[in-house]
Amino acid sequence: MGKFQKGLLLMDKAALAKFFKSVQNQFDIFLPYEIDKDDPDNLMLKKFRNEEKFVINKYRTIDPLKSLFYLSSESVLPSTTKNKQRIIAGVKNCDLLSLGVHDAALLEDDFVDPNFKKWRENTYIISGDCDEALSTCHCNILGHNAYPDTKGEEMQKYDINLSPVDDEYLISIGSEKGEELLQLIKQNCEITEAEKYHVEEVERQHKEIEEKLMQINAEFSPERDVSVVSKVKDAKVWEELCEECVQCGGCTNICPSCYCIIVNDESINDDFKRIRTWDSCQLSGYARVAGGESPRDRLWERFRNRYQCKFDFIKQNFSQYGCKGCGRCISVCPAEIDLREVIKALQEV
Amino acid sequence: MSHPNPYDVQKAEILNVIEESPQIKTFQLKLEKPLEFKTGQFVELSVPGIGEAPFTPSSSHYESEEIEVSIMKTGSVTEKIHEAKKGDIFGIRGPYGKGYPLDKFKGKDVLLLGGGVGLAPLRCLLQTLIHDIDDYRSITVCFGAKTPQDMIYKDQIKEWKNYDRIHQLCTVDECKPQDDWKGRTGVVTVLLDDIKIDPAEAVAVVCGPPIMMKFGTFSLIDKGLKEENIYLSMEKKMYCGFGECRHCVMGGYYACKDGPVFTYDKIKDVEKIWE
Ligand SMILES: Cc1cc2nc3c(=O)[nH]c(=O)nc-3n(C[C@H](O)[C@H](O)[C@H](O)COP(=O)(O)OP(=O)(O)OC[C@H]3O[C@@H](n4cnc5c(N)ncnc54)[C@H](O)[C@@H]3O)c2cc1C
Ligand code: SF4
Ligand code: SF4
Repeated sequence: MGKFQKGLLLMDKAALAKFFKSVQNQFDIFLPYEIDKDDPDNLMLKKFRNEEKFVINKYRTIDPLKSLFYLSSESVLPSTTKNKQRIIAGVKNCDLLSLGVHDAALLEDDFVDPNFKKWRENTYIISGDCDEALSTCHCNILGHNAYPDTKGEEMQKYDINLSPVDDEYLISIGSEKGEELLQLIKQNCEITEAEKYHVEEVERQHKEIEEKLMQINAEFSPERDVSVVSKVKDAKVWEELCEECVQCGGCTNICPSCYCIIVNDESINDDFKRIRTWDSCQLSGYARVAGGESPRDRLWERFRNRYQCKFDFIKQNFSQYGCKGCGRCISVCPAEIDLREVIKALQEV
Repeated sequence: MSHPNPYDVQKAEILNVIEESPQIKTFQLKLEKPLEFKTGQFVELSVPGIGEAPFTPSSSHYESEEIEVSIMKTGSVTEKIHEAKKGDIFGIRGPYGKGYPLDKFKGKDVLLLGGGVGLAPLRCLLQTLIHDIDDYRSITVCFGAKTPQDMIYKDQIKEWKNYDRIHQLCTVDECKPQDDWKGRTGVVTVLLDDIKIDPAEAVAVVCGPPIMMKFGTFSLIDKGLKEENIYLSMEKKMYCGFGECRHCVMGGYYACKDGPVFTYDKIKDVEKIWE
């Protein structure tokens, strides 16, 4: 057993909404909700306003978690992060793992991003196991699970994780903040001891989702060699792969682990602000320097750069891949480019 | 634990503006508090409310309260910087990146090869080397510019002639008969034919336009310099200066924090370093 209680406690599913209602003045609460859309990929993060039909489990949202920690555009000087405490619930493992990339890059490296740090400190994360999967989900082929690792001894990225069992949640605590939150929950809801049945049932569900992901990604080998992204240098191969790309930058904007930005100064009367805004390495001006020269003038070079960044450069910088298999870039791409297919094609060169 | 906001700046008041060439001005700046830097490191300079850009100080690193920055006009921010006058205030933050490893230069022939505004970091380095001039076996300076009018630091170039240990050569790409030009003509690599150094033991520091860096590096290797003794300034697109924006990433390196100076052996396999 780890430092914190993992999978020993239970709460009623219905009690969670009661808890959120009772603390909504104290916290800004964000949760996944279904939006009106034919596609099953229809969950969006929304602020809790007494609406009880939120989704804790199922699969990832359309919007990446980073949109609440590393805003698409925010002033870093002065830092405009709000002081109000937040709870973000229903977070999935792919987003937690991506948050790990941002922690490594924006907190644990040589500098600290002021806004990201404050958002991190102000936020309690309640994650949930995935019990369903989208056709684009592929965390498994990157060696990850569709549920957070609640067995590890180390500090977890979630504060509380909820695994569904019938009408209840099996609770795992991942941090000191999780302990604090549990005390708050206890004031409002009944928490009971879990039984062997609950633990076994969660394990059974984990196997089930693993099998489902294997089926979805049957064509793609789990032991895929991603070093091909840097090894394959033939322009023709890459030109073919990105033939349909319209350079919208959607794939990088929606990616939970991408964090490239531009920094701009704005002045309003006598005040001035320094704003950082998401940028995309897929856009042609990205690396262009004064004088007009750019190391990646051609589309295929920028297209390849994204793959190299995810599977080579980020790995060199932070000892992990920059892709966690959420599949958002596949869903968003107007050209229907599938990252799994691209890697597969490269492996077959 | 409280961390400083890495985007925060201090004020830098313009004490003087020197017109070096039609495109390049040197700004003498007085800082609110000392900005200790090592030669080779860079700063981010901003015009309040307009924007910021990276520049290398062009003055010695032994002076941290008043520093000089030489800036070429090439775009929106540098244009605004060029409009600034004595008494105006810039914002400044830094220093960033790694400096030149001066310890590795000691006892050696040091060659500085530069062109255009690339002379800025080299002037900073040279002034720092001059401070401890006896530590180095010799210093050879090869400077180039497009035309005699574009050659910057003309007054200092005259002063540096007074040092026995400094061997100085200048060239311009083209000059007109009416120009008062006593140096050579041709691209800066032509100067390498006339230098007297021991290539096996020399270190070379190269800074200038990408095309000049590329052919400069190849010529130095032809002369017998070791790849690990050739120091190159990689001026990539960058915003933050400290590793957040990722624009300057070159392979697994960041030009900002792992550089901006790299030895050739480290980056020769990185694709497209010259662009
Ligand atoms: C570490 C480092 C040190 C540096 N040191 C110095 C120094 O000491 N002195 C110095 O003068 N400079 C130095 N530079 C370069 C300097 O930072 C740039 O000149 C500056 O950032 C230009 O900013 P700007 O806003 O004026 O140009 P921008 O307005 O940003 O203009 C350049 C941009 O305009 C566009 N552009 C410009 N020309 C063209 C073109 N021909 N075709 C298409 N698009 C074009 C590109 O998008 C480019 O990014 C250094 C750079 C680095 C990275
Ligand atoms: S989302 Fe698709 S079309 Fe848009 S930039 Fe990415 S790969 Fe290209
Ligand atoms: S690269 Fe695509 S699949 Fe991988 S984490 Fe980013 S958006 Fe998700």
